[in-house]
Amino acid sequence: MKKTMIGIALATCGIFGLASATASADTSFPNNLRIVIGSKSTGGDTYQNTAIVAEALARKLGINVKVDAVGGSTAFNTISRVSNGSVIMMFHDQAYLGYLYGQKGYENPFEAYRIGPSVAINPGNAYLVSKNSPYKNVEELMTACAGGTDIRVAIQPGGVSEIGYSAMKNAIRIQHPGREGCLVAVNRGSQSDKNQAMFDGLADLINGSVQANEQYTRLPADDQKAMRFVWLTAGNATIQQANPEGMGETTREMLLQYVDPNVSVTQDGSRNFTFDKEFFFLFNKEMDQKLVDELDQALTEIFAEGQIQQTQKRSFFIPDFRPSAESEAYFRDKAAQYEVILKSLQ
Amino acid sequence: MEFLSALDLIYFVLVLSGTLIGIIFGAIPGMTATMAVAVCLPLTYALDLNHGLALLLGLYVGGISGGLVPAILLNIPGTPSSITTTFDGFPMTQKGEGERALKIGIVSSLFGGLFSAAVLFFFAPLLADFAIKFSFVEKFLIIFLALTVIASLSSNLLMGLFSALIGIWLSLIGTYSVEHGGNGDTRLMFGFMQEYLYDGFSLLPVLIGLFGVAHILEEAEKGIHEATKDMQLSLQKGARFSVGVFRNQKINLIRSSFLGTFIGLLPGVGGSAASVLSYTQEKNFSKHPERMGKGAPEGVIASEAANNGLTGGALIPLLSLGIPGDSTTAVLIGAFTLQGIQVGPLFIGENVATWNTMMVGLVAANFMMFLVMFFAIKYIAKVVMVPKYVLYPIIMMMCVVGAYAINYGVMFDVWTLLLFGVGGYLASKFGIEVAPLVIGFILGGQAEVYFVKSLESFGTLTIFFTKSPIAMVLWVFIFISIGFSIYQAVKARRLKQAGKGEEA
Amino acid sequence: MEISDLFQVSIDFSQSHLFFPRIIHWLLLIMALMILLFEGIPYLREVRSGRKSLPFTTGSFDSKRVFGTLLLTILYFVSMPYVGELFPNTGLGFLLMSIPYMFALSVLYLHQHDRAHLLRVGLNALIAPVVAWYILAKLFAITLP
Repeated sequence: MKKTMIGIALATCGIFGLASATASADTSFPNNLRIVIGSKSTGGDTYQNTAIVAEALARKLGINVKVDAVGGSTAFNTISRVSNGSVIMMFHDQAYLGYLYGQKGYENPFEAYRIGPSVAINPGNAYLVSKNSPYKNVEELMTACAGGTDIRVAIQPGGVSEIGYSAMKNAIRIQHPGREGCLVAVNRGSQSDKNQAMFDGLADLINGSVQANEQYTRLPADDQKAMRFVWLTAGNATIQQANPEGMGETTREMLLQYVDPNVSVTQDGSRNFTFDKEFFFLFNKEMDQKLVDELDQALTEIFAEGQIQQTQKRSFFIPDFRPSAESEAYFRDKAAQYEVILKSLQ
Repeated sequence: MEFLSALDLIYFVLVLSGTLIGIIFGAIPGMTATMAVAVCLPLTYALDLNHGLALLLGLYVGGISGGLVPAILLNIPGTPSSITTTFDGFPMTQKGEGERALKIGIVSSLFGGLFSAAVLFFFAPLLADFAIKFSFVEKFLIIFLALTVIASLSSNLLMGLFSALIGIWLSLIGTYSVEHGGNGDTRLMFGFMQEYLYDGFSLLPVLIGLFGVAHILEEAEKGIHEATKDMQLSLQKGARFSVGVFRNQKINLIRSSFLGTFIGLLPGVGGSAASVLSYTQEKNFSKHPERMGKGAPEGVIASEAANNGLTGGALIPLLSLGIPGDSTTAVLIGAFTLQGIQVGPLFIGENVATWNTMMVGLVAANFMMFLVMFFAIKYIAKVVMVPKYVLYPIIMMMCVVGAYAINYGVMFDVWTLLLFGVGGYLASKFGIEVAPLVIGFILGGQAEVYFVKSLESFGTLTIFFTKSPIAMVLWVFIFISIGFSIYQAVKARRLKQAGKGEEA
Repeated sequence: MEISDLFQVSIDFSQSHLFFPRIIHWLLLIMALMILLFEGIPYLREVRSGRKSLPFTTGSFDSKRVFGTLLLTILYFVSMPYVGELFPNTGLGFLLMSIPYMFALSVLYLHQHDRAHLLRVGLNALIAPVVAWYILAKLFAITLP
């Protein structure tokens, strides 16, 4: 019995020693950094974008960086609890849109957490109609609405997928006051459910993405599944930065047709609404400033080297680096603008 | 034959290693095929697309298949879709037919896998067009049909239905998730629980809690007495495996493989429904329904053929609609995008070479799974001879690993394990039946979304009857299924009374 | 009023999270009453007449092993993340706590506490977690407590 116990104790010490001896990188981050993301999917854009950044960070800092797809609620809980910099979070505009839309599980991120550097844009957020739809473009859809026809839009409620719908509703409110009620949300979940809503004839317009829906736009018109882009919410300058090949067989030039100023959804009567889905870090409020600086510095160097931009563009992300301080101010302003839109619709 | 160039030795080595790792993941309670694929995804960065896919397909097939090992030997479903394998597989082990059950399961898996691969190869685009004819209304009816198994599965009809309702109730705890089109609001809990229960109880910790932990507690109550010597004897005692088992099971094999493939191709309906559904159908059409659940080989066949049939089925919407058919294929999308390839309705036509190599990989993975498992079984089956005082601590530890890792590091999932372990242990004392409860839990969430969304869209209950010819056909199946259960219940009661009569 | 109106259902989206749970609550209530009526009352009648006994009162109950298992497991779950935070993201909380937990659980379940058995149990408690930890946390980089 005694011998066994001693054996166990010895072995335990050995493992201890092993684990602590390997910490040697010249960074204040622990040897094993964990990035939790606000999505539960390891096949989605948040994971993919984070994996690219994590790999670059691991190389730069000489530490292990691991991405865990724990989902929004758990990720927020984790970074609220852990302040020593061993866990940081990556998410996108949903972090504050969820709060603005009053979703359960979201707090005001500017108060509850610290906003870290931004890294990339997914320019793919899109709206599509069926290929044989009577509506050619966003303007016709909004005019139809103004004429009293219900236009049903399949979205996932409460965030990124809904913001374009809210913007259209807002534009109708400005241009045809009192008619915004004719734009109706069809609340669906996954992309497959949104597509299905269109196939079932339950939606006239669906939220989708360039990545997931591009091939549907190339199907022959007599195919029940065929779709047509009518609007990409990304800014013109954002799409300009994409690789000229675009996505699939749809080139950057073709994508630019569906972007402001070719598509006009007014934000306030004078300028057009655009929405870039941007990925950024979030930290515990109390995390050491030294760690924040170190991460900013590491990312600055990574983006200066120019390698990561190519990787990002190959995966249809647009590089979008801002150090923490700049990033926080930027997202505060962005959130304030969207808040105005959402308030005006209440 | 451009694709042949991709099929080098490394390709097959990767398929083999994928299959091996997959089987191990599948065999560990709480580790799933999805996790195996997700964990190995970063490894594919270093490989080209074809080689990456070889590894991932191996992992997928291996992971789905490996689940039968703990299901049969330990009564713990290694993956959610092997839940129905426990119903007959474990009783077979108790009869000393563990090895036989494993072999039956593996042969059925191979058949299901190859069947679905063939369907995938020949009919993918056609079936994709068929799949989109299933709206929420039809999907609800499919879930409803799968739920009818509860009637025939419970030993006491009232308690069985009650248990299933509790299972459904438990599955609703948490948010009505926006990811399924809900409004994101929480229900069935208090505010302070939101931190833990926002996403509800996770399926896998619930499963291994109810099956694994509860079982250990029951054994602890009896004092953990070893029965190793008897086991050793009984290992040889039971009937041995022979291909003859399948002689009367051709229809079962084909029907179950077909159902697995079919459920796989409906996005969102998911893997567990496939094996539940095919188990239901086998029970309904079986000549000896009373044997099912007590160690009937046909139960294992139905369950395993279906859950491997799922593999090819779930790849259909992935490759011909760009939409994953289950959670594992959702991770596969990531592997494609990392290589700069987008899956969608034009994928097969534009990437014929990749498509062909994938098919070869899928078929190869199925055969390798079969070979690896078939020859390893003799040794795997000895698990039942490990003394309990060694085995149970290992099971507890692995359950913890699985529960913690399933959502990439959530401690609450580990507590879920204990919660449901103790809950299951106590509930069974009050006559709550675990199998219906678990099936209710698995299908409850989907039943809600499909039901509520159908009503939201159409505003009337009649839509469930009038939506489409498919819906009417499904109703016919539902009535047949319910009718059979009633018929069987009546027959069983009559037999019982006749038996009592003789005693008196 | 037409017959079809009977089947009309309109769901307010903001309240739709309660729609299905409400149905389940009603069904649960109905089932509970039916069980009480058809199972509970006859059962209690048999208990009273002494033909059946209440649950928990039948068979042997090894309280040492049941409550021991529960206590050890709770200790294990509580200590794991706590120790884990000392070595962030290394899975050491799992490794360091699994060893004593498994050893204690094995000893609890053992009926013969002789040297050979203890040695076997000790080795198992040592090797199993180390292998699991090494393969999963190190090789596959799976997050453990």
